[in-house]
Amino acid sequence: MDAFLAFFTIFTQPELLLLVGVGTFAGVYIGAIPGLSVTMAVSILISFTFSWDVYPAISLMVGIYMGGVYGGSRTAILLNIPGAPSAIATALDGYPMALRGEAGQAIGVTTVMSFFGGFIGILVLALAAPFVSDFALSFQPRDYMLLAVLGILLVGSLSQGSLVKGIFAGALGIAIGAVGRDPLTFTERFTFDLPVMQGGISFIAVMIGMFGVSEALLQLHHVGLPAVRQKITRIVPSFGTVRKYLPLALQTSSIGVIIGALPGTGGDIAALMAYDHAKRVTKKPARPFGQGAMEGLVAPETANNAAVGGAFIPMMTLGIPGDAVTAIMIGALFIHGLNPGPMLMIDKPDMFWFIVGALVTANFFMLLFGLTGIRIFTKIVEMPRSVLIPLILLLSIVGAYAVNNSLTDVYWMLGFGVFGYFMRHYGYPLGPVILGVILSRLLDDNWRRAIISEREDLGRFFHGILTSPLSLVLFLTVLFIFFSQTPLWHKLKARLLRDRTAEEAEQ
Amino acid sequence: MDEEFHGHGEHHDGSSDATPGGYEDSRRPGELAFAIFLLLASGYLLKEAYGISGFEALSGPGVVPMGTTAVMLITALIAVLTTWRRPLLTTETIAKDILPLRVIVFVVLIVSYGLLLKPVGFLPTSAIFLILAIKFLDPRSWLFATAVALFSLILVWFVFRIIFTVLMPAGIVPEAEMVQALRDLFGGAK
Repeated sequence: MDAFLAFFTIFTQPELLLLVGVGTFAGVYIGAIPGLSVTMAVSILISFTFSWDVYPAISLMVGIYMGGVYGGSRTAILLNIPGAPSAIATALDGYPMALRGEAGQAIGVTTVMSFFGGFIGILVLALAAPFVSDFALSFQPRDYMLLAVLGILLVGSLSQGSLVKGIFAGALGIAIGAVGRDPLTFTERFTFDLPVMQGGISFIAVMIGMFGVSEALLQLHHVGLPAVRQKITRIVPSFGTVRKYLPLALQTSSIGVIIGALPGTGGDIAALMAYDHAKRVTKKPARPFGQGAMEGLVAPETANNAAVGGAFIPMMTLGIPGDAVTAIMIGALFIHGLNPGPMLMIDKPDMFWFIVGALVTANFFMLLFGLTGIRIFTKIVEMPRSVLIPLILLLSIVGAYAVNNSLTDVYWMLGFGVFGYFMRHYGYPLGPVILGVILSRLLDDNWRRAIISEREDLGRFFHGILTSPLSLVLFLTVLFIFFSQTPLWHKLKARLLRDRTAEEAEQ
Repeated sequence: MDEEFHGHGEHHDGSSDATPGGYEDSRRPGELAFAIFLLLASGYLLKEAYGISGFEALSGPGVVPMGTTAVMLITALIAVLTTWRRPLLTTETIAKDILPLRVIVFVVLIVSYGLLLKPVGFLPTSAIFLILAIKFLDPRSWLFATAVALFSLILVWFVFRIIFTVLMPAGIVPEAEMVQALRDLFGGAK
C-alpha cells in the first residue's frame, strides 16, 4: 500500500509535474518532425539526465515518450509524412482528410482517441501487468516469426491497389532490412563488398526518403494549386462522435496493449494491426478506407498510444523492452542503480507506481497540448508549396543526417526518395516497404531460432506449430489473412452474398 | 469525383499510400520499363542472396534473404506480365505526367546538395539550395526567395544545431566558433 502512494508523488511535487509537461510538449513536436525519432530524443536525454535524481529523469522521459508517439500523427495528417513509424497507418486516412480541408477535425479526433488509448494502456499496465507479461513470456520464437509474417501480410489492408505489388513491396522491405552483417554469424549480406554497406541501411533514412522526399517530389506536380484552407472551427470532437467510435476504440486499444506488451513489437505494429482490424469490422464507413475514413484514424491512434502502457509491462516485470524507447529506458534505470525485471517489482514497487503516475499525467498533458496547439500546426499546410517543398526536403536531409551523423544516410534517403516517387506513380504502396524493414530482423532472427530449436527439421517445425495452441491460432490467422486477400476469396464472398440475397428474396 | 476533394487523385500518383497511383485497366508511360527494372533487380538480388550461404542449412544467414528475393522475383514477374497485357494510356506522357522538368531539376538540386554538403558545409549549401529552390518554384523576386530562405534556414539551424545539438558538416563556415560565441553571449563571458 505504501508503494501505491508513489503514484501520487508526481501530483505533489510541482517540479516533477513541470518536467512531465515539458517532456510531453517537446515529445509532441519531436514526434511530429520526420526523422527526429522519440528513440533518438530519449537516448540523447539520458546523457543529460544521468546526474539527476531518478524521479525527475523518468518524468521527462515518460513525457517525451507519450507525447512523441502521439506527435507522429500531426505531420502524417498534415503532410502525409509520418513523424514516426507508429503514425504510418494514420497517414492513410488522415492525409486525405487534410486534403479536403478537414485537418482540424482529424487532429481533434486523433487527440481524443490517443488519450483514450493511452488511458486504457495505462489501466491495463496498472491492473494486469503480471498476467499480460506471463502471456508474452509464453511466446516461442516460431510465434514471433508468425507474428512478423502476419504483420507483413497486412499489406493487402494497407493498399487498395494490387496485392502482387503490395507483396513485392513487403518483400523488398525485408531484403532492405537484411542488408549489412548478419548479427548471428557476422556474414555479409547484400553488401556488394562495399564497406559502407556493412552497417546496414538505417530504416529512418528509408522512411524519410520514401515518405518525405517522394512526397515533396509529388507535390511538385501541384505547385500552381492554391493551398487548402483547413477548417478548424471544431477541434474538440462532439460527444456523439466520440461515443460512436468508442466501441472500435476499445477493441483497438486492446490490440494496442497486447501488441505493445510483446517484446520487440511496438506502437508501429499495433497501429497497423488495429487499422487492419478496423477495416475488417467496419461494415459501412462514412468514407472508404484510404479516402478519409474516421475509423482509419481512430484505430491506429488508440492502438499506438495503448501500446505505450503495454510496452512498459514486459519492461517493468521482466526487464525485456517492449520497444526501442523502453529499451533505452531500461538503460536509464540501470544508470540510476535500478534493476528492471521481476526483482524491481519486489524490491522497488514504488518505482512501478511512480511510472504509472507519470504516464497518467503525461496522457493528460498530451490531451491538453494536442487540443490547444492545432491552429499553429495547421498553418504549416497553408504555407505556399513553393516554400513548403524545399523546406520538407531540407528537414528530410537534416533528419536523415541526424540519425547517425552520416552522409551515407542522406544518400540512402535521396535514393529511396526518387525510387519511392516512381513506386507511387506506378501503384506500388510504400507502407509495406517500411513495415518489411521494421519486421525484417524479427522475422529473420526468430525463423532461425525456431528452426535451430527443431534441429533443422521442417517436419518438426510444423509439428510444433500444429501442437501448440498459440502457434496454431497464429498460423491459421496467417493463412486466413492471406487467403482473404486473394481473388478466389472475393469471388467466394460475392457468391455467398448473392446466394444469401437470393434466399432472402425468396423468403 | 467528389467536388469537395482537393486532392490530386486524377493524377493517379499515389497521394496516399492507401490509394496508390496507376490504373487498373491501362498502363502509364514508363510503367512497363519500371516493372522490368524491378524484375531484373530482383533476379540479381536473388543471385546475391544465394551467394550468402546457399542451401547449406535452413538456419543459414542467406535463407530469409533468398526467400524474400524469390518472392520479389515472382511478384515482379507477375507485375511485368499484367502490366504488359494492359493497353498504354494515350492521354499521358512521361515528360508531362511522370517526369516533368520541374522534378528533374529538383532531383539534380537535391543530389547536388548531397554532394556539396560535406565539402562546403551545411549552412552555405542549405542557403543556396533554399534560395534556388524557392526562386525556381515561386515567380516572386530574388529578394523574396532570399529572405524566406535565410529566415527558414536560421530557424532550422537554431532548432537542430543549438537545441538538439545535431552536428551538421561545418565545411567552409567556422560553425563551432559561431556556436561558442552565441553561448558566450547568452552564458556571459568568464
